[in-house]
Amino acid sequence: MAFDFDASVMWDSVPILMTGIRLTIIITIVGLFFGFIFGATAGLLKLSRNVLLRKLAGAYVESIRGTPLMVQVMFLYFGLPMAVGMRIPPLTAGIVTIALNSGAYIAEIVRGAVQSINPGQMEAARSIGLTRFQAMRYVVWPQALKRMIPPLGNQFIISLKDTSLLVVIGVGELTRTGQEIISVNFRAFEVWLTVAIMYLALTMTISKILSIVEEKVFHVKR
Amino acid sequence: MPMIEIKNLHKYFGDLEVLKGIDLSIEQGEVVVIVGASGSGKSTLLRCINKLEELTSGEIIVDGYSLTDKSTDINMIRTEAGMVFQQFNLFPHMTTLQNVTLGPLKVRRMKRAEANNFGMELLKKVGLEDKAKVYPDQLSGGQKQRVAIARSLALRPKVMLFDEPTSALDPELVGEVLEVMKTLAREGMTMVVVTHEMGFANEVADRVIFVDDGVILEQAPPKEFFSNPQFERTRTFLGKVQNPNAG
Ligand SMILES: Nc1ncnc2c1ncn2[C@@H]1O[C@H](COP(=O)(O)OP(=O)(O)O)[C@@H](O)[C@H]1O
Ligand SMILES: [Mg+2]
Repeated sequence: MAFDFDASVMWDSVPILMTGIRLTIIITIVGLFFGFIFGATAGLLKLSRNVLLRKLAGAYVESIRGTPLMVQVMFLYFGLPMAVGMRIPPLTAGIVTIALNSGAYIAEIVRGAVQSINPGQMEAARSIGLTRFQAMRYVVWPQALKRMIPPLGNQFIISLKDTSLLVVIGVGELTRTGQEIISVNFRAFEVWLTVAIMYLALTMTISKILSIVEEKVFHVKR
Repeated sequence: MPMIEIKNLHKYFGDLEVLKGIDLSIEQGEVVVIVGASGSGKSTLLRCINKLEELTSGEIIVDGYSLTDKSTDINMIRTEAGMVFQQFNLFPHMTTLQNVTLGPLKVRRMKRAEANNFGMELLKKVGLEDKAKVYPDQLSGGQKQRVAIARSLALRPKVMLFDEPTSALDPELVGEVLEVMKTLAREGMTMVVVTHEMGFANEVADRVIFVDDGVILEQAPPKEFFSNPQFERTRTFLGKVQNPNAG
C-alpha cells in the first residue's frame, strides 16, 4: 500500500490537540513556578555557610539529577501511593514532578549565577556598610538574575518537552492527546508531525519571549 | 587619640602567615602611603582595617572602636572607613548617581531627594556631575575610580583606604584620580593609600611606610624616606619602582 499524505488529517486534529497544548502549558508554567521557588531556595542553601543546609540542598539536587524523569513520575504516581495509601491525581503528580525536577536544575543555575558575580561586588557593597543580606538584595541578586535568564529559558524549554513524558501516567497533555487521536484514525505520520510542529511553535515562542525580556528588562543587546 | 591604632596584628591564610605583627598608629588628618613589593601584605593590611578580612590575632581600633570587640557594630565600622579598590568594583546595574546614593539610602536611611542632592554634590566634587545618569560601562577607568571615591565619601567616612587606586588605569588617566585624592588630603581626610605613585607619596604623604614580607620594615616622612632609606631592602625596592625597566 502506497503512503498517501493527507493534509486534512492534520487540520482536523488541531482542535483536539489544542486541549492537549492547554494542559502542556499549564503543567509547564505551574510546574516551573514552583520549580523556581524550590530551585532558588536550594540554590541559596547550597551557598549558605551552614554545612547541614548545604548538604541537604545537595542531596536534593543530586538525587533528582541522577534519576530519569520517567522514573520520578512513576515513583510519585504509582510507587508512593503503595506506601502512603493515597493516590494523587495525575495532573497534580505531573506538576509536582516537573516542579521537583526543574527545581534541581534551577538550583544549579541560581548557584552558578550568584557565584559568577565578581566577589569584588560583595566587598564593595559591604565596604559601604550594607549588611550581607542588603548586599545580596541590592547588588548581587540583580546582576545574577540577569545572568540566569538564558539558562532559565533553556530550562523552560527542557521542562516543556519533559511534560511529554507524563503520558506514562495518563495526563492529557499534548503528546497524550496525539496518541489518542492516532488510536482512532491510525494516521501516525500526520498526527505526530502536527504534534512536533506544535512543540516547536511553543519552544520558539518561549525563546522569542525570553530574548524580548532580556532586551527590554535587562537591556542585553544582541 | 589616634584615628587608627593597630596593635601586634597577625593574619594567616591557612598556614600562610601574611601579616607578622604589625604595629601602626595613624593620627586624624594624617596621610599615610604604604609601599612594598607585590605579595608583601599591603592589601591584607588595608582589608583588615575595614574588616573585609578577619584578623587572626592582635587588635585594630578605628576612631575608638575596637574591631575585635564583640559589641562593635561591624557595618558601622565599615562606614567609618571608606574603601577604594584597584578594580573600582562599581555596581554595573546602577547609574553613577545610584552607585553613590545606595549607601546613604540603605545604610543611613536618608530620604531619596536628600540622598540625590547629596549624591550630586559628591559627583560634582569629583568632577562628574554631568555623568549622573550614565552606567559605569560608559565611563573611562579614571571616571570610574572617581565615582568609586564619591561612593565611599557618601557614607561620610572618617578614614579613606585606597588600595592601588590608579594601578588599573591607563597612564593618562592617573592624574585625574590623584587630583581628587589630593583635594581630599587638603581637606583634612585621614587617608591610608597603597600606591606605587612615588610622586604622590612625595607630595601628599605625611609618612611613607615600607611593608616587607608582612612587617613594617621602616617608616619616615617622604623626603627622608626617599632620600635616605635605612635598609638595603628598601633601597632595592625603591630602585625597582623608580626605574621599572632596569629589572
Ligand atoms: N584570600 C586569600 N587567601 C589566601 N592567600 C591570600 C589571600 N589574600 C592574599 N593572600 C596571600 O597573602 C599574601 C599577601 O597578599 P596581599 O596582601 O594581596 O599583598 P599585596 O597587596 O602587598 O600585593 C600573598 O602571598 C597572597 O597570595
Ligand atoms: Mg595588593
